[in-house]
Amino acid sequence: METYTYVNIFETKGLEYLLLMCFLVLLIYFVRYLREPGGKE
Amino acid sequence: MTSMTVVRDQGGFWSFVRSQLRPRGKIFTPFNVISVPIMLLGLGILVVRFTKGLGAVTNLSQEYPWGFWIGFDVVTGVAFAGGAYTITFAVYIMRMEKYHPIVRATVLNGLLAYVFYAGALALDLGRPWNIINPIIGNSFGFNSVLFLVSWHFLLYMLTELLEFSPVVAEWLGARRARRILSSLTLAAVIFGVTLSSLHQSGLGALYLMAKPKIHPLWYSEFIPIFFLVSSIFAGLSMIIFEGTISHRVFKDQIDPKKHGSFDDIVIGLAKGAAISMFVYYFFRALIFLHDKQWTMVRGGWGAWYLLEIIGLVLVPCIMFAYGARHRHIGIIRAAAVLTLLGIVVNRLNISVIAYNWNAAVRYYPSWQEIVVTMMVVSAEIWVFRWIVLRMPVLREAHELPEQEQRKTARPPIAASL
Repeated sequence: METYTYVNIFETKGLEYLLLMCFLVLLIYFVRYLREPGGKE
Repeated sequence: MTSMTVVRDQGGFWSFVRSQLRPRGKIFTPFNVISVPIMLLGLGILVVRFTKGLGAVTNLSQEYPWGFWIGFDVVTGVAFAGGAYTITFAVYIMRMEKYHPIVRATVLNGLLAYVFYAGALALDLGRPWNIINPIIGNSFGFNSVLFLVSWHFLLYMLTELLEFSPVVAEWLGARRARRILSSLTLAAVIFGVTLSSLHQSGLGALYLMAKPKIHPLWYSEFIPIFFLVSSIFAGLSMIIFEGTISHRVFKDQIDPKKHGSFDDIVIGLAKGAAISMFVYYFFRALIFLHDKQWTMVRGGWGAWYLLEIIGLVLVPCIMFAYGARHRHIGIIRAAAVLTLLGIVVNRLNISVIAYNWNAAVRYYPSWQEIVVTMMVVSAEIWVFRWIVLRMPVLREAHELPEQEQRKTARPPIAASL
């Protein structure tokens, strides 16, 4: 009998998808942070 | 005085060669005083190595056939040479002309890194004359990663030589040759970037078959991807580090107006390094989750892993970002040094330290292995300095007649190296 379950965040790779989404959002902010000049030069 | 004038005035090629072989600058510098004894000692060790075998000077064994020479010279050195393909891609393919002033020095650095570090591979082969086997088709395996790596090293060295050859032609005053060689630059860059992306990851792929031997915190099916992405920021950090030293040591070679623009270049490189490190960190985090590595982050190995991944990846990434945003060159330089240290630690972890991590008898490099490595690094710096002091590497191509400079001026991107 298959023990696969759709509510297990590890087996559905849910954690990896969450990390990927966080990464994409953070990357946008990170690039924006790099593009804008700092407050004090 | 141009090199061509030198050739003409002194009446012949050999006079020119003699004039170029004469030492330039001071002989007793701190670097010379330290490096000459190291190189002499290293040469002596190499004589013993080639007459009495690897066992006479190294701690290599059947359990540890690959040691410090492979781990540092080849695996780490090639990552440091990643700046050449990154910068040529940025300048010739993406047309980021801002980085054009550092292309020659970076390509030279990459070429020498491959010649010396990949060349050091010959020292580590029990039967070094067999190094030619993959090239001449003597019992090579098409499916072997080493087959790919050996061909790529050879082809990439030739490609970098081709990329650098306009500088040599300019030095010799061979205008026609320079024009022809310059026209090949774009093709060489495309070929070089393709080769680099394959063999940088190929070096990581060498370790795929060593799954039972590498500590699970460092082993992953994605080692090739890690090696490729980390070679980008390793190369960029090396450019910042090497460029900072070059701008001090060879300041008379550089137009004073260009000193200011180097800071802008460093800030641009820092942004590139920060973004590539951010991506690399995400990959490592993904593997951390996927392989449930938190169960292993305890004890000495876990602390060592966290030091590498936080102290030598995340911290320099933040430092690069902060330094680039606030135009703080000092922080960027410190981040570059930390990053280079991180690359050394990462590559040595995979190839030496966390390799055979549970073996009863551990491998430690012998003092001879360390001296030979220092000899290879010193010899590369000597050759780099020799070339920079003679060829137009840091200087502009100002010795060409004005008409020719116009012809080779950018934007025709392949026109000049």
